[in-house]
Amino acid sequence: MSDLLDPFGLFRDAAYGAERLGRSLIGQERIRLAVTGLSRAGKTVFLTSLLANLLAAGRGLNTLDALGKAAGGRLHAVRVAPPGNEALPRFDVAGHLAALAADPPAWPPRTEDLSTLELVLEVRRQTDPVGLVSGVLGQRTVTLELLDYPGEWLLDLPMLRQDYAAWSAETLARLRRGPRAGIAAEFLAFIEALPAGMPAEESTVRRGAALYRDVLRACRDRLGFRFLQPGRLLNPGPRGETPLLWFFPLPGGAAGPLGRLLADRHAAYIAAQRAEFFEPYFRRFERQAVLVDVLGALHAGPEAFADTAEALAAIADALRYGGGWMDWLTGVGVQRVAFVATKADHVPERQRHALEALLGSLTGGPAQRAGAAGVSSSVHSMAAIRCTEDDVATLEGRPVAAVRGVLLESGKPAKVYPGDIPLKPPGPDYWAHGFFEMPEFQPPRFDAAGGHGVPHLGLDAVLAALIGDAL
Amino acid sequence: MSAPRLDFQWEQAVVPVAPAPLVEPSRWGGIGRALAGAGLIAGGIAALSAVNFIADQFARGPVQGWATLGILGLGVVLLAGGVWRELRGLWSIRHTDVARAAFARSDLAKAKAEALRWAASVEQAAPLQPAIRDARSIEALAAILAPVQETLTAEAAGLGRAAAMQAFAMTAVSPSAGLDVVIFAWRGVRLVRQVAGLFGLRPGFAGTLSLLRRTLFDAATVGATDLAVDAAARALLSNPILQHVAGEAAGGAVAARRMLRLAAITAEGCRIGPPPR
Repeated sequence: MSDLLDPFGLFRDAAYGAERLGRSLIGQERIRLAVTGLSRAGKTVFLTSLLANLLAAGRGLNTLDALGKAAGGRLHAVRVAPPGNEALPRFDVAGHLAALAADPPAWPPRTEDLSTLELVLEVRRQTDPVGLVSGVLGQRTVTLELLDYPGEWLLDLPMLRQDYAAWSAETLARLRRGPRAGIAAEFLAFIEALPAGMPAEESTVRRGAALYRDVLRACRDRLGFRFLQPGRLLNPGPRGETPLLWFFPLPGGAAGPLGRLLADRHAAYIAAQRAEFFEPYFRRFERQAVLVDVLGALHAGPEAFADTAEALAAIADALRYGGGWMDWLTGVGVQRVAFVATKADHVPERQRHALEALLGSLTGGPAQRAGAAGVSSSVHSMAAIRCTEDDVATLEGRPVAAVRGVLLESGKPAKVYPGDIPLKPPGPDYWAHGFFEMPEFQPPRFDAAGGHGVPHLGLDAVLAALIGDAL
Repeated sequence: MSAPRLDFQWEQAVVPVAPAPLVEPSRWGGIGRALAGAGLIAGGIAALSAVNFIADQFARGPVQGWATLGILGLGVVLLAGGVWRELRGLWSIRHTDVARAAFARSDLAKAKAEALRWAASVEQAAPLQPAIRDARSIEALAAILAPVQETLTAEAAGLGRAAAMQAFAMTAVSPSAGLDVVIFAWRGVRLVRQVAGLFGLRPGFAGTLSLLRRTLFDAATVGATDLAVDAAARALLSNPILQHVAGEAAGGAVAARRMLRLAAITAEGCRIGPPPR
């Protein structure tokens, strides 16, 4: 995202790169870990589980086996950094854990605002047999800075490089395809009926924005689509809707008074997102975890699956990787990326590799670009909170591998067969069968206050891949 | 009726069977090897030269030989004593880290041991040793240590105020900005050692560097002490006489504020128990 058109960004990058180098020399490193992902991919649950399990690991418990091995057993202590002067709310890990452990339990609601938290990991130095270096330079610490944010806002990332005309054309083309066309019929009829040279009347703009917002909501809630822009129209944040959000795509782009008003609002929206969200928080990520609910997309049908794949490709394309010469000069940029298929506990163990392979196929393009830029990337399947056990179900008289858990809504035990997971994006035959919606399960029993972490699948491998080298 | 939730016996599953061993013990990096090599060359050549010199002196005569041996021997003993004292100072600070880590991971046995060792070295905390031995939980142990640590922190604030006044006055009369830096550095190092002494630490040169590193780079602690420092600085510097006497009130006020902050952060860095909530 930094380019030659933003010299102040270049200076900030250089200053940050110098600071990072200085900190690494004295053993006081800081890592910014971006947890990226589409809405309902499980970012909040991932952060909750990561924090609970890391704090427990800092107390000597074996909650993150692979990470402990990657650190060579040198992880000494973990503590939450005290609040400083942050302008963002603190991530409420205790609140989320309490809600998950409560009776009845509750999964985190949709995230509506940014929140942040820092963990300080104390790590014994590798070459300090008599403690002399630690005595002068102190224990080595790695400060992990974490950020949670609404997943809908991530889809604004591709918008940063588009003007209003390009964005309108691309959005309308998408709306006219497949099942979106039916949902967007009223909105499309509205904008087609607008005369050329339509004056910029606020009532018209409000009506168009309201119709467009209804389309986005229906695509998200009824069809399971994720490539929905602008993100703040779906999730405006704590300030609620502002006039900045009242714009929608037009066939003629920025032509006429109405088009110019909408184009101005589009530009102002992009500038606000860049200044308030992307620049302060996305600019200097060293590590990225990209979470994808692949199974949810698979079960939502071919259009939803294609939509998720398209959204993932657009986001990964717009993310910045630290391979360019400007990044080399300033010393910033992404070093590691982990693509993670979430909710892996919804498939039996023998199918989890298929989930990883499918995600690998979807992210093959971004992962290749990352690799070419010298960025280490990996693909994982993970359940931040494990809610099921492997079991066997009977389907048409034959046993099949299934998962068993307690349903969230009814509190009753259930065995669910998730179907076969393809190793790559499936062809038309796969979609010939009916789809089903994977039920939500209750989280397992765990002690929210006891400090033993929470049961998970594969979280330690993800963390080892992302931050293991820094410990 | 709702079914019971799945139970993975997680609390039992995560208890480590044995303490995690270090997988890569004492692997020396490039800088470590270079420094060790330089030290070996310098020390080895110095030792060989000294031995040759002593032998030459003995060749001149036994008086010269024994005198040389005595002088060199005394010098080596003093040098070794200085190094030993530096290491002891560093180890005392390391104990602070060990104690804080024990509190962080609720290791009662280790925290008690460190608390007892600390209480034996601090006059105000010596009477707490029986209570420390009887503490049954980490929270109880922290509560036992809290009052005396607050007292020591208050005393450290007093040292900070005295240093702030001196820094204000010296900066105000100092003829150059360069001299300001020297004055501040000298007084700041002295303040760090004074505050460390309150908490039972006797840091040498290396130990003082270690404490300075913490105070300079512990950003979280710096941020948390700002509010307290603001209030103290306003109280200290609102004296009309100070404002009248000091020509460069702005520079002196900055130096004074920094001294107050240095005292607060050093005290925070020397605590062995968890910080107050």
